[in-house]
Parts: sequence; C-alpha cells; structure tokens
Amino acid sequence: MKGTLNSIWKWGSILLLAYVFLWGFSTPLQPGLVSCSPSQLDLQEETITLSAAGQPFALEGAETSGFTVILRSADQLLRTDVTSVSPHGIEARFDVPDNLPSRALDAFVFTPKAGTLFLGNACFVEDAAKGDIPEEYRATAPDDLHPQLGFSFPFQPNIMESIRNLLLHVPMWFAMFFVMGIGFVASLAQLRTDRVLWDQRAEAAVRTGLVFGLLGLTTGSLWARWTWGAWWVSDPQLNGALVTVLLYSGYLILRAAMGDDDRVGRLSAVYNVFAFVMLVILLMVLPRYTESLHPGKDGNPGFNSYDLDNSLRAVFYPAVIGWGALCYWMYTLRLRMNRLAHALLTQ
Amino acid sequence: MEMMNMILLNSLEGFFFGSGKAHVVTGVALIILGGLAMAMWRMDRKLSRLEEEVRSSGK
Repeated sequence: MKGTLNSIWKWGSILLLAYVFLWGFSTPLQPGLVSCSPSQLDLQEETITLSAAGQPFALEGAETSGFTVILRSADQLLRTDVTSVSPHGIEARFDVPDNLPSRALDAFVFTPKAGTLFLGNACFVEDAAKGDIPEEYRATAPDDLHPQLGFSFPFQPNIMESIRNLLLHVPMWFAMFFVMGIGFVASLAQLRTDRVLWDQRAEAAVRTGLVFGLLGLTTGSLWARWTWGAWWVSDPQLNGALVTVLLYSGYLILRAAMGDDDRVGRLSAVYNVFAFVMLVILLMVLPRYTESLHPGKDGNPGFNSYDLDNSLRAVFYPAVIGWGALCYWMYTLRLRMNRLAHALLTQ
Repeated sequence: MEMMNMILLNSLEGFFFGSGKAHVVTGVALIILGGLAMAMWRMDRKLSRLEEEVRSSGK
C-alpha cells in the first residue's frame, strides 16, 4: 500500500509536468500590437500600419468593416478609417489635426474576434500645437466587444512567446525555496538534537535545492536575454539570486573541507541556518525596497496582479506542484543515498 | 474553433506555431522529462534493493 502511494505521487509529478509541457508549449499566444509604421507623423493625411504578434487577429482578406482603429492623444480620441486588414496587421488612414493635447498617440485596434489590442506611444506628431482635437476629428469608443479567443496565453509586450518560461523559471525557484526550507528546519533540529539523521536531511535538501537554484538562474538568464537584451543585468533580484546560490555552494564546500570531522554536522547546520536567513533577505526582502526590472519588485508589479490570467493559471499551478514534487523526489533519493552511505560506513 | 482554423491556416514566419517550432520544443521537453523520470525511477529501485540488502545484513 505504501509502495503504491509512493509510486502514485512520483509518477503523478511526471504526468503533471508532461501536461505542463504539452499545454505550455502548444497553447497559442493572444495577439498584441508590437509596432506602428511610420512612427513620426506630419500635419497632413497619413496612413499608418500597425503590426501585431501572437496568433492572427483576422483572416486573410477579411472585410475591414468589423475593425476600428482609434488613436488617443492624452484623454481625447482621434478617428481613423481602416483601409486594409491582414492576419497580423491593420492599415488606417486619417487626417492629422494641427492641435493635439499630447504629441504622443496611443493606438487601439478593436477587432471582432480578438477584442481590443493596444500599443502605447505608437506614433508621434512633433509639429502639432498644444490644444484640443477639433470636433470633426474626434472618435467615440465602439460598443463592448465579446472576443472569442479560446484557450490562449496573454500577450505581454517584450515578453511575448517567452511567457511560457513562467512555467519553468518561477516553479523552479519555488521548488528551491521549498526544499531549502526543509533543509533549514532539518538544520534547526540538528542543532537541537545533534542527531545525524537531521544532518543527512539538511545535506540532501541543500544539494537538491542547488540543482533547482542553478536551473532557476539559467532559465532566468535566458529570459533576461530575450526581454531585457542582456544575459545578466546588475539587478538586486538577480544578484541576490546569484549570491544565494554561491552561499549554498559554500555549504557544500564547508562540508567537503571538514571531511570526517565530528563537528561537521553542527557547523554546517549553523551555516545552513545563516544561508537560509540570507536567502529570505536577498530574494524576498531587499529587492522589494529597491528599483528592479524583475516582476514583483518595486515599481514593477508581478505577473499575478494583472497578467496571470486563468489560461496561464491552469498550467502554472500544476507546474508549481509538478516541479515541487519532482524536487522532493530528488531530495528523497539523495537522502536515502546519505542514509545508505552512513549505514555502510558504520556497520 | 474559428480561431484555431486561423492559427492553422496562417503559417507565418516568427509565429511559434505556424513555423512548427512548438511541436519540436514540446517533443524535446517531453523526451528530456521521460529520460529524467526513467533515470530517477531506476535509481529509486536500486536504492530500495540496497536498503533491503543493508537491512537484511544488519539483522
């Protein structure tokens, strides 16, 4: 019975991760606007082309009648005429008024199937005078749309298709936190009882946590390259993560350096408690008090507040459970190895 | 359904699905996961056997 239960949760974690990979990589991305051409407009009749990424928002050769493009200058709306629509682009013509409340224009595309697409600061009118848009140029927002996109991931500028990395990067750090937490509790128990069992647990937890920490760093670096343009940026969250991994590497070095010394259990337990406290400070406290590019930190809300929609949740939560269970499985394997080694050495 | 048809009918360059990259990425990820699962399962069984041996030799 115990063996069956053991198999169920272990293979359950693999099945969950298989589900995560299948859905995570085969769910299409919602469409979103990425650019406007030209971006500089003159005070005359202009034609702009708004380009989109993600899944198509229109069929090839679709009628233009169902689509609306509205430009926004400050809090006033500017009317345009849609001239053509393609699966990933829309063309609109309009007269640029002499007066605008703001020289920067935001673009809204209202589509029958994909809802409203938005591009902030889509284009600029440098020569426009400050003033209200004349009445004849103004637009009113269309009626509420009821998009039927189906199961798809939310579109985020810059992040785009790489949003799927959320299913790897974040759960891997969660798994590391989880197993390092086990190590922390084991080290406290080791200090209290001085039993070798707790030392074995702490060692297995740190070793497993480091694997997931390194995976978290790798997936984070890949994501940074795509969204921020660099493999590494000097950011408190990133540097904190690196220092944490180095600190935990120090734990293993300390153990290796002490060899068979009788004090290895107690000393490494003290070090592990210190390392976990540093992990909490470096990854959860300090980055929240400083400016950071990383989501969830100062001035930059995390995915959860506005981006983690239900389609993403349906894959993200299983990913957290799946990676967590896989991490725990690895931890139990390492712990059993430690116990076996100890049993053979003391026999 | 209509949206899915639109996705399948528009094989655009740079689009994750139209270019077929999604299937390759999914396949590679599943193969790696399967390999890891098998390796861990075998290790699990080996450890169980060793534990049994140690237990019986200690009796």
